[in-house]
Amino acid sequence: MLNLIKNEWLKLWSKKATWVMVVLIALLMIGSAGITKWMESQIEPSENWKQISQSQVKALEEQMAIPNLPSEEKERIGDQLALEKHRLENDVAPISSNSVKGFLNTVPEYLSFITLFTVVVAAGIVASEFSQGTIKMLLTRPVKRWKILTSKLLTVEIFATVISIIMLIFGVIGAFIFFDSAPGTNLEVLNGQIVEVSFWGRLLLLIGLSLVNVFVIGTLAFMIGSVFRSSSLAIGISIFLMFMGVNITYLLSVRFEFPKYILFANTDLSQYIGNGRPMIEGLSMPFSITVILAYVVLFLVISYWSFTKRDVTA
Amino acid sequence: METKPIVKLQNVTKVIGKKKIIDDLSLDLLPGQITGFLGPNGAGKTTTIRMMTGLMKPTSGEVFIDGQAISTNFEESMSKVGVIVENPEMYKFMSGYKNLVHFARMNKNVTKDRIDEVIAQVGLQNRIHEKVSTYSLGMRQRLGLAQALLHRPKFLILDEPTNGLDPAGIREFRMYLRKISIEDDVSIFVSSHLLAEIELMCDRIAVIQNGKLISIKEVKEEQESHYYVEATPKDQALGFFASKNIKVEAYENGYLLPIETKEVPVLVAEMVSNDLQIYSLHPHRKTLEDQFLEMTGGGQIAESHKK
Repeated sequence: MLNLIKNEWLKLWSKKATWVMVVLIALLMIGSAGITKWMESQIEPSENWKQISQSQVKALEEQMAIPNLPSEEKERIGDQLALEKHRLENDVAPISSNSVKGFLNTVPEYLSFITLFTVVVAAGIVASEFSQGTIKMLLTRPVKRWKILTSKLLTVEIFATVISIIMLIFGVIGAFIFFDSAPGTNLEVLNGQIVEVSFWGRLLLLIGLSLVNVFVIGTLAFMIGSVFRSSSLAIGISIFLMFMGVNITYLLSVRFEFPKYILFANTDLSQYIGNGRPMIEGLSMPFSITVILAYVVLFLVISYWSFTKRDVTA
Repeated sequence: METKPIVKLQNVTKVIGKKKIIDDLSLDLLPGQITGFLGPNGAGKTTTIRMMTGLMKPTSGEVFIDGQAISTNFEESMSKVGVIVENPEMYKFMSGYKNLVHFARMNKNVTKDRIDEVIAQVGLQNRIHEKVSTYSLGMRQRLGLAQALLHRPKFLILDEPTNGLDPAGIREFRMYLRKISIEDDVSIFVSSHLLAEIELMCDRIAVIQNGKLISIKEVKEEQESHYYVEATPKDQALGFFASKNIKVEAYENGYLLPIETKEVPVLVAEMVSNDLQIYSLHPHRKTLEDQFLEMTGGGQIAESHKK
C-alpha cells in the first residue's frame, strides 16, 4: 500500500498543475497579509481597545434593555457583556486585527481555497487515468482494484493536509512580514465561566475542523470522478455544491425540518466552537459528525462499488 | 500434450446488454509458444483480451493463468502476466524512467537493476530520462514493451504491438519476442490486423468470428500444394485442364492448379505437346490473408496496412 501511495504522490507532483496550486497558495497568503495591512493602514489610527470595549459595553447594555428579548438572545448578549467587562476589569487586551495573531485568526477563512484545490485533485485522480488511457496499464498489475482506489483516496487526503500546512506556513510568513506581534488574548464563556483560549490551539482546531469539510467535499468529488470517469463533471458538481449547498440548505431550513439531514448543514463543524450559534436551530456536534459519517460512507460505498465491479472499456 | 497450458480460457462467455460478444470460448496457450489472434472487426478480440487481463469479468466461464483463476486469485495470476493493451498509454508528464519505477512498484521483486536491464533490452537508454510526451510512437511502443517485461512474465499479451514501429523496429521486436519465447519459455499471445506480421511471428493462429473460435492452426502446418500457371491460348488451356480432370481456379493472369510437385514435369510435357505456350509456372503458397478471408467468409478486415 505504501508503494501505491508513493506512486500516486509521484504522479501528483509530476504534474505542473499541482505546483501551480502551491504557488497560488503562497501568493494568496502573502498577498492577503499585505492587503489586510494596507487596509488597516487606511483606517484612522483607532482609539485604544479600552475605549472600544467601553462603547461596546454601552451598546450591549442598551440591547439588554429591549423588552421581550428571546431568552437565547438574552443569554448571548449577557455572555458578550460579561466578556467585555472582564477585559476592562482585568486589563486583558483582545487580539487586534492589525497584528500577527489577528491575521492568523483569519487563516481558516481561506480554507475554501484548499477545498477548491482538493476537489480538483480528487476529481482528477481517478478520472484522469481513464481520460489518459493509463487505467488499462494500472489495472492489469497484480494489485487488487480496491487497493488502488484506497491509495488514491489516501493520497487526496494527504494532499489536502499538506497544502493546508503549506497555507498555514505561508500565512505565518505573511503575518510576520507585514504585522507586529501585538499582545492579545481570546476569551470565551464556557459553562458560565470566562476562560482564556489558547491562540494556537484554537487556530489549529479551527483549521482541523475546516479540513473535515475539505475531506467531505473531496470525497464527494472523488466519488463523482470515479463513477462518471470525468473530472470536469466532478469538479463542476462539487464546486457548485460547495458554494451553493450551504445557502440552499439554509434557505430550506427556514421552512422545513429535513434540511438538518442535508450534508451541507453539517459540514462546518467550526460553527459549534466558541460562542457562535449553529446555522440551524438544534444542530449539535455529535449529530453533525454522525450525518457527515453517514454521507462519507455512502460516497465511499458508491466509489468502491463502481471502481471494483465495472468493466474497463475505455 | 504433456506440457501444462500457461493460460486456459474455459467456456468463457461475455454478454454485454443483450448481445453475446463472446460465446463459450475455450482456448489453451502453451509455454514457449507464440499464438496469433485474428478476427474481423467486432469479432470479440479486444473483449477476449480484456477478460484475459482482468479488465473485464466474463459473464460465465473462467480464465486461468498458470492454474490460478483470475477472478479469485487476481494478484497471483496477474503477477505472471505482462500486458500491452492497444497503444501503450503511459504517463506523459513523467519521464520514461519514472513510468517504469511506477509500474515496478506495483510488482513484487522488481529491482533497480532489472529496470536498467529492461531499458537496455528495448534500446531506450539514451532517452529514458526524458518526458514521455517527447517520445515518438515507436519509442512509446518500446517503453510499453519494457513495462510489460519488468516482472519477467510467463505470459505476454500484446494487442496490435507493432503499430507505429518502423520496419527495423518491427523486425527487432519480432526477433526479441521469439527470443524470450524460446529462452524463457514465455507464452505470447498477439492480436493484430497485420496478417503478414502474424504469419511471420507466430507458431499458431487462432481465428475468432462473432465471438466464437472458428479455427486454431499451426502456421508451419503442411499446406495444400498449389501451382500457378500462365499459359495461352486460354480456351485451349482450360479445355486441357478439364480433360485432365484438374479443377482450376482463375488467379491474376493465369490459373491455380491443385497439384503435387511430382506431377509437375509430366504435366508440363503434356502441355507443351498440346501446343500450349507456357509463360510462367511456379509453386503458389496461399497467404494467410487468403486463408483468413476464406475462413471468415470475406468478413471485412479493418485496415489493410498495404502501402
